Amino acid sequence: MKPKIIFFIVLLSVALNSAAQEIPTGDILVRNATVLTITDGTLENSDVLIQDGIIAAVGKQLSAPQDVSVIDATGMYVMPGIIDAHSHIGISNVNESSAPVTAQVSVGDVLNPYSIAIYRALAGGVTSSHVMHGSANVIGGQNETIKHRWGLLDPDELRMAGAPRTIKFALGENPTRVHGRGNNKRPASRMGVEYVLRETFAKAERYREAWAQYEEDIKTNPRAIPPAYNSQLEIMVDILNGDIMIHCHSYRADEILMLLGVLEDFGIDQITLQHVNEGFKIAPELAEFGATASVFADWWGYKFEVYYSTAYNAAILTRNGVLTSINSDSGELNRHLYHEAAKSQKYGDLTDDEALALITINPAIQLGIGDRIGSIEVGKEGDLAIFDRHPLSVYAINQKTVVDGIVYFDIEKDADDMRLIVNPESTVDTTVLHSHENTHQCLYEGSLDLYDFLESN
Amino acid sequence: MRTHYFVFAVTACCVLLMNLPVKAQVNSGESVPDVTRTIALTNAKIIPSPGQVQERSNVIIRDGLIVAVGPDAAIPFDAIEIPADSLTVYSGFIDGLSHTGIPQPKQEPEQERPDDPANPPNELAGILPHRDVRTFLDPKDKRIASMREAGFTAAHVVPRGRMLPGVGAIILLGGDTPNEMVYRGETALYAQLSGARRMYPGTDMAVIAKLRQLYKESERRHRIERLYSEDPTGLERPQYDPVHYAMFPVLEGDRPIFFHTDGVLDLHRVLSVQKELGFPAVLTGLSQSFDAIDKLKSADLPLLLTLELPKEPKQNKKEPPADSTEAPPTDAPVELPEIMHLDYDPDHRVTSFTDLESEKANLEARRTIAYKTHVGNAAALESEGLSFGFSTGGASASDLLTNVRQMIGEGLSETAALAALTTTPAEILGLTSSMGTVEVGKLGNLVVSKGSIFDEDGQIQYVFVDGRKYDIEPPKKSSGNDDEGEANPAGTWSLTISTPDGEIAGTLTINGSDDDWSGTLIVDIAPEASQLESIALSGHVLTFSFDAGGFGTISSSLTLDANSVSGSFDVPEVGPVSVSGTRTSGPEYSITVQRLIQ
Repeated sequence: MKPKIIFFIVLLSVALNSAAQEIPTGDILVRNATVLTITDGTLENSDVLIQDGIIAAVGKQLSAPQDVSVIDATGMYVMPGIIDAHSHIGISNVNESSAPVTAQVSVGDVLNPYSIAIYRALAGGVTSSHVMHGSANVIGGQNETIKHRWGLLDPDELRMAGAPRTIKFALGENPTRVHGRGNNKRPASRMGVEYVLRETFAKAERYREAWAQYEEDIKTNPRAIPPAYNSQLEIMVDILNGDIMIHCHSYRADEILMLLGVLEDFGIDQITLQHVNEGFKIAPELAEFGATASVFADWWGYKFEVYYSTAYNAAILTRNGVLTSINSDSGELNRHLYHEAAKSQKYGDLTDDEALALITINPAIQLGIGDRIGSIEVGKEGDLAIFDRHPLSVYAINQKTVVDGIVYFDIEKDADDMRLIVNPESTVDTTVLHSHENTHQCLYEGSLDLYDFLESN
Repeated sequence: MRTHYFVFAVTACCVLLMNLPVKAQVNSGESVPDVTRTIALTNAKIIPSPGQVQERSNVIIRDGLIVAVGPDAAIPFDAIEIPADSLTVYSGFIDGLSHTGIPQPKQEPEQERPDDPANPPNELAGILPHRDVRTFLDPKDKRIASMREAGFTAAHVVPRGRMLPGVGAIILLGGDTPNEMVYRGETALYAQLSGARRMYPGTDMAVIAKLRQLYKESERRHRIERLYSEDPTGLERPQYDPVHYAMFPVLEGDRPIFFHTDGVLDLHRVLSVQKELGFPAVLTGLSQSFDAIDKLKSADLPLLLTLELPKEPKQNKKEPPADSTEAPPTDAPVELPEIMHLDYDPDHRVTSFTDLESEKANLEARRTIAYKTHVGNAAALESEGLSFGFSTGGASASDLLTNVRQMIGEGLSETAALAALTTTPAEILGLTSSMGTVEVGKLGNLVVSKGSIFDEDGQIQYVFVDGRKYDIEPPKKSSGNDDEGEANPAGTWSLTISTPDGEIAGTLTINGSDDDWSGTLIVDIAPEASQLESIALSGHVLTFSFDAGGFGTISSSLTLDANSVSGSFDVPEVGPVSVSGTRTSGPEYSITVQRLIQ
């Protein structure tokens, strides 16, 4: 009797939750395309049927209910929607740079569905972004995994509900520059970065113990006093408990090995290294730890710690068994991530599927959503990019981008002005001679002292 | 000898001035009292509450209260009679939220840098929920008189500040001392998503995180305090601290948080954190709420809509024909000239450099639509059945009535407008038994106008606050000053840029004349000056753009007065940040400041 009631309550609460957060989904049949499934090879002259936002069938000559809209993709290439594992689009704040540890802040609190960068990402076939806190702090804020549902105006509708929680860490020059050089505070060196990590995790362990003790005490003493609430350590405890995945901005091999040591000491076995330009030096060590890597295709030299870099990084990491993705970290680069993936073929001879996995299933796995998106499989979410040529061709142009079975970008309907809101006091600009907009934003708002650094990029 | 004479003269003057019966002080007892505190407005058109009309009635005020209303209300023998045959009497307007009576500091005090920006003292971080606005009131604040001229008789005021500026109070917009002004204290806690400058919490996301921390720790302390007050035996003494303890009335549901939202993103963020923590709340500001109507409906919170409106974009309006002043023939179809420039094509596509003009015209049309949408915000709320009061914070007092009329022009009903000025703020602020309507027993707070206040020609003649009469001079007609030539931007300007990270100082230098301008901007965080591009002056509006390195290309629109400047920088990915400043040197001073690049 009882389990039945509980089951009913669970059902009811699921229903209520979905009512509170009704994300629109669509039905679409994509006909007669070359389907790049990523996980199950390439299917010629095949169809993809999406119903209620979920891939319902993949195969030849699929039949669909009459009311399902059909996209004739004859001669075109359909791939899973591209996933950007490192981005700063669609948020109002990037860095809370006032403190070396800001685990309690979250960019998920400042999502901006009006940001035109989301639409531009769609134009490049990107359907999901891992929107991250910046790299000013050793332990930065929490990130948010979003789906590019352009035109939905409630920030909550951008969230990919159920995606695992992640947090940004950062090693090396950025946190030492901001807090050491900028504020004369710890960390001023790479040693200081390790100190901040260890100190914060140790505090979190003590905090966890204090609360466990309180939970024990309150059973026998209703007047037991709870420990002081600490929102920062709450998050750190969630990390220790494996409930939040770490994505760490890092470049140099030595500091990455330092980080792995710290994580090992605190019993954390999950880590995605972001940028990781020197990953190629320690690929076997990363593979052994089970660390994953999210890299640039060929971007380096913008500061001292990224001089020692190679365009073979993605291929070397992949071939050494390190799950690797290629990210943009940029509102410009994210529009041609398929080109970035293609570079791993010129530098490292990855296969088509390996190259495309760098921007689809691999970032999905790194974000803990590999079972939901990142490949064209029945049961996965209906996120697609439809290209006129093979997406690894330099001539490829994205034609349509589908999220949850809804076409959110269509090159045929790409008018001049796709903004969702207009500031009546803004000026009307028709030409931009030169713009740094949407370039590397990792340190955006990082520190006022960083202006010169940004300039030097 | 001369010195003595001078001192004597000054002293004599002071004595004389002090003894002059400049104004009868009704409440302070020691001065000469009014001859009578009874006033009769006779034969007036009365709007007792929104939507109701009572023609040819009298209103009798005695000792600060309305004692009789109606056509037969007898005129007491001791009343000052004001014949109001051609006048309309409204209940005095109530401002839902502003800083009226709290003068803006002339200069932002030099900000102290905390030892540790990660843990700054609450005073520096703007976390001051224990401050009481009553300690900041200044009866001489010029805004009190200018608000009164716009028909406002009472205001809910809160301290200026950042994230948690303090506790508000209801004040009457009259009186000679702070105590006389206060109607009720400890009304609400004021909050806004406004970070500290270069310390924690600096960003919106950190302000939200800090609010969570404060709230949850306050809940804990509140519980401990209760345990201790029940029985202190065996419990460690809880330590008092003003910040957490100031949250207790909020936790107990006795004091709402009046949360300011500036734009629709703020609105979503505040609603989310309010839902999460569950504090009693009133939403204020609410610009752009037209884009979040459903969410506002389901939130079901009291609303105070700002009377601030965006500046109307400059149009390339065609000159009206010379005979346009003539009345059109009555049988001719009515022309709607404002529709003409709304010719916006949402599917407009050109290759930018081949047809710039058509793209520009289209973008300008869209901007005009956006302007109308913003002005129509109040009408949108009304049409969706959402009731709201008005707040004046942020708006210039002289614009208030004009802005209400503009909102009516975009579809707001006069009844809803009057309710938003009177009954609704009274309800939200818990003042219905004493303010908001022209009824017996309520405070003698009235607005008396010639014609409807919502007509362009409507003119406020008298405002009564607490039964005290204020004569309102009609504003001097500007003799076409608006289009009187152009401002001269040449010179140097000291700017304050209010970024999400805090305020940044800058120096703007403009050289040249007519259509040949050049200039630089030095921001105190940047190592070198930015060269201004596309500088254009149109009337009093100066526009330019500049390359701000990692921040992108920032476009700017500034409105110039003789010696002050205000406007915004449109920062990519951030949106507009407001800029204000003053002239530090005149047109004759034109040295381009260049720093050495190291």
